[in-house]
Amino acid sequence: MPDFSLSPEQESLRDLARKFARTEMAPHAAECDRTARFPEEIYRKAFELGLMNLNVPTEYGGSGLGVLDQCLIVEELAYACGGMTTSIIANCLALEPILLGGTPEQKERFLKPFCADYQFASFALTEPSGGSDAGALRTRARREGDHYVLDGEKCFITNAPHASLYTVFATVDPALRHKGVTAFVVPRTTEGVTPGKDEEKMGHRASSTGTVRFDGARVPAANRLGGEGDGFSLAMRTLDQTRTPIGSLATGIAQAALDHAAAYALKRHSFGKPIAEHQAIQIKLANMAQSIHAARLLTWHAAWKIDRGERGTLESSIAKCFASDAALHVADEALQTFGGYGYMKEYPVEKLLRDAKLTQIYEGANEIQRSVIARELLRSYE
Amino acid sequence: MEIVVCVKPVPEGETRLRASADGASLDPEAVKFVLAGYDESAVEQALLLKESLPGSKVHAVSLGPAPRTEEVLRAAIALGCDAATWVDSGPAASPDPIDVARALAAALAPLPHDLVLLGKQAGDDEEGLVPAALAEFLGVPDVGHVVDLRWDAGRSRFTFRRAVEAGQETWEAPAPLVVALQQAWNDPRTAKLPAILKSRKVPIARVPPVALVPGVGRSQSVRFELPPPRSGARLVDFQTPEQAAEKLVKLLREEAKVFP
Repeated sequence: MPDFSLSPEQESLRDLARKFARTEMAPHAAECDRTARFPEEIYRKAFELGLMNLNVPTEYGGSGLGVLDQCLIVEELAYACGGMTTSIIANCLALEPILLGGTPEQKERFLKPFCADYQFASFALTEPSGGSDAGALRTRARREGDHYVLDGEKCFITNAPHASLYTVFATVDPALRHKGVTAFVVPRTTEGVTPGKDEEKMGHRASSTGTVRFDGARVPAANRLGGEGDGFSLAMRTLDQTRTPIGSLATGIAQAALDHAAAYALKRHSFGKPIAEHQAIQIKLANMAQSIHAARLLTWHAAWKIDRGERGTLESSIAKCFASDAALHVADEALQTFGGYGYMKEYPVEKLLRDAKLTQIYEGANEIQRSVIARELLRSYE
Repeated sequence: MEIVVCVKPVPEGETRLRASADGASLDPEAVKFVLAGYDESAVEQALLLKESLPGSKVHAVSLGPAPRTEEVLRAAIALGCDAATWVDSGPAASPDPIDVARALAAALAPLPHDLVLLGKQAGDDEEGLVPAALAEFLGVPDVGHVVDLRWDAGRSRFTFRRAVEAGQETWEAPAPLVVALQQAWNDPRTAKLPAILKSRKVPIARVPPVALVPGVGRSQSVRFELPPPRSGARLVDFQTPEQAAEKLVKLLREEAKVFP
């Protein structure tokens, strides 16, 4: 039989994340959302406590956590602020290709100095002309002696305006489609690398999202991860590792929404009694609780599979897709529970709805998750 | 310098408490236990001294039942304590504070100690009896309500400040010494993730169950009750402070009838 109890280690990791989220992040969440401020002082504290490079092994200066441990932390952080959480965990996504595809020499050269200091890395896959169709990349990588010359533009890149390192996916030949995609580690200091300005976003406003341009950027061939054409598979294997914590991020937002809604329903009166005593509200709360419970268990299960060394593509896609859909629905129902107050920016739930929306889009849109789920599913019937 | 810091597991502030089945104590099943706030300040003071005096060691000691006592000792190690001793109280729920001090003194006596630090009282029962009794059993001086503690190496004396009515006193005393600290004056640090993981692997010495016999010539907890639920509050909508005052006066006069 499966065991759903957490180890004492996991309990203490969760306690650390909960304390940090509630004392450091939550008090600034509304202000950072309103002003779209990137709270460096909070991110620096997260780094100092070891909450930023969660997936990097300790030998390279990271926290060396498995996926389930990461999920526990991410859910707690997201309970306080989804946007801050996105920026805190974006290094995990950006560094995962180095962990999966880097040589020992590359890991030593890139990860050690990176993790020694507070800094950001960005995963640069999506382009203005497309994100989900990663085989259709337009950013070019031309070989010139022992260098590659990169030309093109990436967009919607988390932390891009603040990053010191980019993992960039470019094609050596667009005609090769997936087979041309190649991954590179590109320091921001490389000539021809230009991060753009922050985008103005609907939610996750404490996070920073922007473009990066590559204009004849010369990158040493020694910075290529794997061989030419290995990039597509590397990107997909990376997302297999990082998708599940996004399910936990969505779960954290949803839990915050339910907690706000339940507390409000107990104190708000209509027709002579708390609205929590009206069946219409009880049904909402019960459905919200069910969705959250299912989302949490799906993420734990996917994480458990991946930590056992399985690829977990199907399970992580189900977890991410279900949890993010649940988060949007739960935040919507929480807002409805608040009625008119929920629509007001003075109350915390409309932010949760805006923050929840992104979880359906990033790290593989839910349409892509469903096509992955269907593909994996149908394969099992062949 | 050899520093011992005594810590106690207390219910976390946000915990919803309930009475145990026998009605004599708190039901520990539903409670999350954490390092007491006063003790966090004591641990912080111990670590500050350790950092300022190379070669110093901090040994955390706690008395209580499993598993909460081991957990707060692990929290102390994650913060930077070097070693830990768990004085197993067995299942005794609310031992008499003098018995606690006696058992702590027995466990502490064989450990080298130039300084013993504690929170001035626990965050749960707020009794504040253990520090003085512990000093008595150890046969060393004790001071309470301390907010700052330094070691003057030249004169081989501790100097410390005490928060008193309308001011602060500065005192000094030689080692060994028991010091009870105020809460949160020194902004206790947060344990870092790698230290938390490492703390799980540090062995904790266990002192076998000590005889804490409630009721034998000692005080004994007989009843634990939660405060009665409060009757519903009324929230008054208002736009300006003047309007709020006006509405409140109207309610006090017409509904509560506290004014004629």
